[in-house]
Amino acid sequence: MRDARIDRRVFLRGVGGVAAGITATSLTACGTGTGRSVEGGGKNSKTLVVRDSGGTYGEANRKAVYDPFTKETGIEVKVVNIAYAQMLAQIQQGRPQFDVIDDSMADFVLFKQEDAAEELDFDRLKNFKKAGIAPSLVASNAVGKNYWASVMAYRTDAFGGKKPSSWADFWDTGTYKGSRALQALDADLPELEFALLADGVPLDGLYPLDVDRAFKALSEIKGSVKKFWDTGALPGVLLGRKEVVASSVWHGRLDDLIAGGSPLAYQWNGARRQSNGLGIPKGAANIDAAYQLIDFALRPEVQAAYAEIYPMGPSVPAAYDKLPSATAANLVSSPEHLESGFDLDVQWWIDNQEAVSKRWQEWTHA
Amino acid sequence: MAGSLLAPAPPAPDPAAPGGRLRRLRRALSERRTRFGLLNATPVVVYLLVLFVYPIFGTLLLSLKAEDGGWTLHWYADALRGANLDILLTTLRISAETSLLSLVIGFLLAAAVSRLKPLWAGLVMIIVIVPHFISALVRTYGWIILLGEHGVINDALTGLSVPGAPFQLLYNEIGVVIGTTSVMLPYTVLLLYAVMRGIDRRLPAAAAGMGAGRLTIFRRVYLPLVAPGLVNAGILCFILCLGYYLTPALMGGPKQTMVASLITEQVMRQNQWNGAAALGIILLLLTFAGLLLLRLVKSARDAARNRGVS
Repeated sequence: MRDARIDRRVFLRGVGGVAAGITATSLTACGTGTGRSVEGGGKNSKTLVVRDSGGTYGEANRKAVYDPFTKETGIEVKVVNIAYAQMLAQIQQGRPQFDVIDDSMADFVLFKQEDAAEELDFDRLKNFKKAGIAPSLVASNAVGKNYWASVMAYRTDAFGGKKPSSWADFWDTGTYKGSRALQALDADLPELEFALLADGVPLDGLYPLDVDRAFKALSEIKGSVKKFWDTGALPGVLLGRKEVVASSVWHGRLDDLIAGGSPLAYQWNGARRQSNGLGIPKGAANIDAAYQLIDFALRPEVQAAYAEIYPMGPSVPAAYDKLPSATAANLVSSPEHLESGFDLDVQWWIDNQEAVSKRWQEWTHA
Repeated sequence: MAGSLLAPAPPAPDPAAPGGRLRRLRRALSERRTRFGLLNATPVVVYLLVLFVYPIFGTLLLSLKAEDGGWTLHWYADALRGANLDILLTTLRISAETSLLSLVIGFLLAAAVSRLKPLWAGLVMIIVIVPHFISALVRTYGWIILLGEHGVINDALTGLSVPGAPFQLLYNEIGVVIGTTSVMLPYTVLLLYAVMRGIDRRLPAAAAGMGAGRLTIFRRVYLPLVAPGLVNAGILCFILCLGYYLTPALMGGPKQTMVASLITEQVMRQNQWNGAAALGIILLLLTFAGLLLLRLVKSARDAARNRGVS
């Protein structure tokens, strides 16, 4: 049964491809063209395919977004977990097997450069207008769905009752004695921002990053950094085994340890936020349903339900009205944490990543 | 490619008698055994051509392509400069240290095991090999519990008031070599064990009968008999180590980056396939150099033996 449906889809897509070829000029003229709605649109398409990164993140999506969406609209949601390069290859061949992309906002900047994602028609997203999503989370081809963050974590039993409250304290190995851990190049973008904050750069003056100054500050703490961690689980192990007393960590990774009674805590000042967004690939088969799903995901109650299951911050502020304060206090986009942290500048990193990576490698071997 | 390096040199062509060579070839082909052999070899050859030779050739081309589409050695120059050269040398050093250590430990272990009754020998072998059925990640976390600053070993040493304790056994080169040695140990133990089981027990006994002391027997009789196994195990270890990266990444510090990590970084994060391909080819050449060394040592030994006989 399911196979037959796929065959039909592929066939229709082929027909649509011919139609799209014929109406190519009119398509470029009017954006989301009529050729598409003939093939996929409206009532007869009952399946929508979403790309997300899977794992517990994907499971939370299923519970908080996809299943309620199916219940309300009757449109089934299928999921594929493919990487950026595969998505791009499918889009460039003109036959993406997915209708909605759930991916990091950084990847959407790359999609923009490759002209691989639809320019969104925000008039079709009813919930967007009153959502009040931060401008940094709205691109022409994507709208932010939730935040994640790198934060500081420390052992509460390590400093004799003192609590580090900033990256400057993290760097101050005289007052806060003990080994540190920071993120390695293999895991994600290097934490130059934390070094600059520790060196006295204000939150709103970080970008463009002063790379020389950042590496100078990193050199000051290099001797105390026992491990540059390269997998998300390692900070929890290092802190739990007392190998280090403070580390950067992807927020959420310590929740289970803290709930299990480990003397660990997050420190939110200077948290580096990144975000996931939703967009539509060029050549998607079900554009109408794709807009419906994106709009659905921006409802405050859906955003709140997601945050209850998975420790990522809602992008829609109104979601916090529907969350218990205990949950809200541990989320990256709560009003206080929005003040005390900063958004990673995706464009700066895309422009400078290669040079910084090279410099990082030379720095570690110096 | 590796096969052609190791294969015996083909007989020198005889330009004076092309007909004779052709006849010999035809005769060889007409033999039932040869035809049967060729038929059997075909699937493997096709398999290797499609899945091994072709991709490697593609990698080679990629490593020579300039960004503008022309040919260049830029990526190789880049790989042999600055931090990249450091990483390459570190890889060689860690591989050498690991093979040496796993040879020593493997030798002691295999020598002990080969003296045990088969049942006990089997049990010890299981103990050596079974940890490798566990995922490398989990095994490494086990090492953290064992070797960490507040781990089992350091706690014991501090408890015994050993001077200098606790020692840093993780996130430096010591940690990496401990980790990779434990990974490589089964290879050396299995190889050496096989060689040691094959030694004629009467030879040391005869030497003892002639009045040789234990040390002399070990040095002049036992060691030369085990030597081929030692060379094979050492070089196998070295080659396997060259491409290893999970354990060094988890148990090493920032200075213990291996070439394989660098390749991952270039492909997955920087989308830099040419540089990664050049590094891959360099690793492959190093592997060939290891195999060539093995072959040279073997032929030198054969030559020495022939001289001894004549």
